Amino acid sequence: MRKAIVVLALVGIGVMLIYAVGEMPPMGDSGNPDKVHIAPRYLEHGEEEAGASNVITAVILNYRGYDTMGEVAVIFCALCAVVAILNREKPGLSRTSMDVSGVKASVVVRTTIRFLVPVIIFFAVYIILHGESTPGGGFQGGAIIGASIILFTLAFGLPESTRKLPLRFRIPLESFAVIAFLAAGFTGIVFGVHFLTYLMPGLSEYAAETIRHIMMMVIEIGIGFAGGIIFTSIMFAMIREDQCELQPDSP
Amino acid sequence: MSFSSQYPILLEAVPLAFAALCPIVGMWKRKLCFPFSVAGVLATNFFIFSLWGKVTSTNTVTYALGGWRPPFGIQIRIDYVGLFIASIIGAVGLLVLIYSWRYVSHELEEEKCTYYYTLYLLLFASMLGFTVTGDIFNMFVFMEIFSIASYALVGITGQRRAVRAALKYLLMGATSSIIVLLAIAFLYGTVGSLNMEDIAGRLQVGGYTSVAGVALVLFLIGFAVKAALFPVHVWLPDAHSIAPSPISAVLSALVIKMGVLGILRIFFTVYTPGFADLSGTWNALTQAVAWCAAISIVLASIMAIIQRDFKVMIAYSSIAHIGYILLGVCMLTDRGLTGGLYNILAHALGKSCFFLVAGAIIYKHGFRRITSLRGLGRSMPVTAGAFAVASLSIVGLPPSAGFIAKWYILWGCLQKHQYAFVVMVLLGSLLAAVYCFRVVYYMFFVGPYGDGIDEAPATMFVPAASLAAGTLFFGIFATLILPSLGSAARALLAG
Repeated sequence: MRKAIVVLALVGIGVMLIYAVGEMPPMGDSGNPDKVHIAPRYLEHGEEEAGASNVITAVILNYRGYDTMGEVAVIFCALCAVVAILNREKPGLSRTSMDVSGVKASVVVRTTIRFLVPVIIFFAVYIILHGESTPGGGFQGGAIIGASIILFTLAFGLPESTRKLPLRFRIPLESFAVIAFLAAGFTGIVFGVHFLTYLMPGLSEYAAETIRHIMMMVIEIGIGFAGGIIFTSIMFAMIREDQCELQPDSP
Repeated sequence: MSFSSQYPILLEAVPLAFAALCPIVGMWKRKLCFPFSVAGVLATNFFIFSLWGKVTSTNTVTYALGGWRPPFGIQIRIDYVGLFIASIIGAVGLLVLIYSWRYVSHELEEEKCTYYYTLYLLLFASMLGFTVTGDIFNMFVFMEIFSIASYALVGITGQRRAVRAALKYLLMGATSSIIVLLAIAFLYGTVGSLNMEDIAGRLQVGGYTSVAGVALVLFLIGFAVKAALFPVHVWLPDAHSIAPSPISAVLSALVIKMGVLGILRIFFTVYTPGFADLSGTWNALTQAVAWCAAISIVLASIMAIIQRDFKVMIAYSSIAHIGYILLGVCMLTDRGLTGGLYNILAHALGKSCFFLVAGAIIYKHGFRRITSLRGLGRSMPVTAGAFAVASLSIVGLPPSAGFIAKWYILWGCLQKHQYAFVVMVLLGSLLAAVYCFRVVYYMFFVGPYGDGIDEAPATMFVPAASLAAGTLFFGIFATLILPSLGSAARALLAG
């Protein structure tokens, strides 16, 4: 009975969705509503108005910067959720295989990773800083930073990683993206313009554009580093929690 | 631009800033987190209540973020209904935060307290953002923040049962978020805009109405899950009863109302009532919601009566009250809509008082069963008295705010000659009298009475008592808000 109702509801929603997709405007047609209403303004004036030659960055940071601030807060909220339920990592309780067995990863792996991690972080910084003119930006760069730290942890174990990235260093960085966004917003309020306006009034054109450039850079860097550290912290918190499941397996 | 014209953004940005700084403050001195978050919520309340003068004189206050004209940038749009709900969030949020102090330091490990306050501030900021935004995608972003914060706060104790309830809530909540996102995508594909008023204007132009109709159905399903309407309410009893009591209070009083507000915004601001091409779908959906709401009222009230656990009973009662609110809204008359909106206030005050009382009893004695509440009227007079007063409002007896709300909802049903709904509302009220007064009976009229007074700490019973007093205040001085709420309702119905 229950299964029948579920199947019926799913079929109903499925048919409705298929019908809707069939009725959608033709794919890629240049006369579609989403291509003639607001998108042309972004494409034509994005670079001069919003200060980023990559139109996507212009939309993300400037036209709809407030949404991006919300998304950054979502990531921060996810970290708080994980940490609130699982607690922060306890290095003594780590259950990664080498921490359990006490055997270090082989010298080949460790040496390779020692060489690779700086290169990966360097690449991430490039992605973050170049987001203004090419695809990329804070979110992508942050994911790469997080991945590089996770790679380091897999080879060297949690105690080594937490020694390199202690908690008192990570906690301020985790909030950094939200704070950078809010700082940019409040700068606008101090100058008497709308929240998240990047061009400050009462300055010469050169000074205003420089300040806009700096604020966008700070936000991108904030998103990148905060994102990377947040992924790292979530992973650290989860390593500890694996203990419950792994315990019966270890002799 | 003057500083006071920045209030619409400050009321979300300030609590968000406090939330982002809270872990850093906690790292420095853990004890400072509580006063720090109280400061944030107080500042926010100042911004919310300063906006009243402006909104009552000009009807809507708008604010363009980044200075971009609305269809190109995001717009904050505060109308009377939005500010009404924002004020409820501000006031209830402050009282519950003060209550949390002793409760949390008693129930949670010290390490978790910092993140409790951080998540609480995030929840507070995002609900305010959701309430005042004029952009559907921005609405989705804030919906994500308050959803994630509430999943985490339900499971924050880390006990097995709590995490299981949080996971159930997460699975249903995340599905509903995806459905809403899909609806936004469909709508954007057909109108090419995200601003609510702009969409309303462009829908009138027509084209692709069938897709817009499907989007309307999806919006309704998504927000109905957030509001815990009858067929999709199953997550609520677990989540609301197992969460820490102050969080249960916020979830019941405020978070489920966000689903109702989402339905209001979609049905009255985006798809306006008089919209010709979709009026068939629109009317059918409001009828369907009205029936679901009516079934919610009766079914949830019956479920509340058969519960033995105090908090589960209160949680089921919340489902019934969401039913009253949506039934009033779906009558599509000014009286019904006014009653529905007024019940948002009445239920927020009454139900958060219920959960705070339950929390005070759990804090003091660890009781959860209704039969074990014997004699508490003697030993905890203020707490039990607050419960008795708030139960007047939940049942809907004069002179409480709940009475005014139900009166208007009944009036709305009578205007539409929907006598079946009248019977169901009255039946729901009778059943509510059974489950509320049973508790009052155990508290005051069944011994054994202990000797002397053994009251909860003042930071716990004062918020509960002020919420109970609030239900009486808004019952007696209902004319303070009712006329302007009535005109706001008429404005919504006019589209």
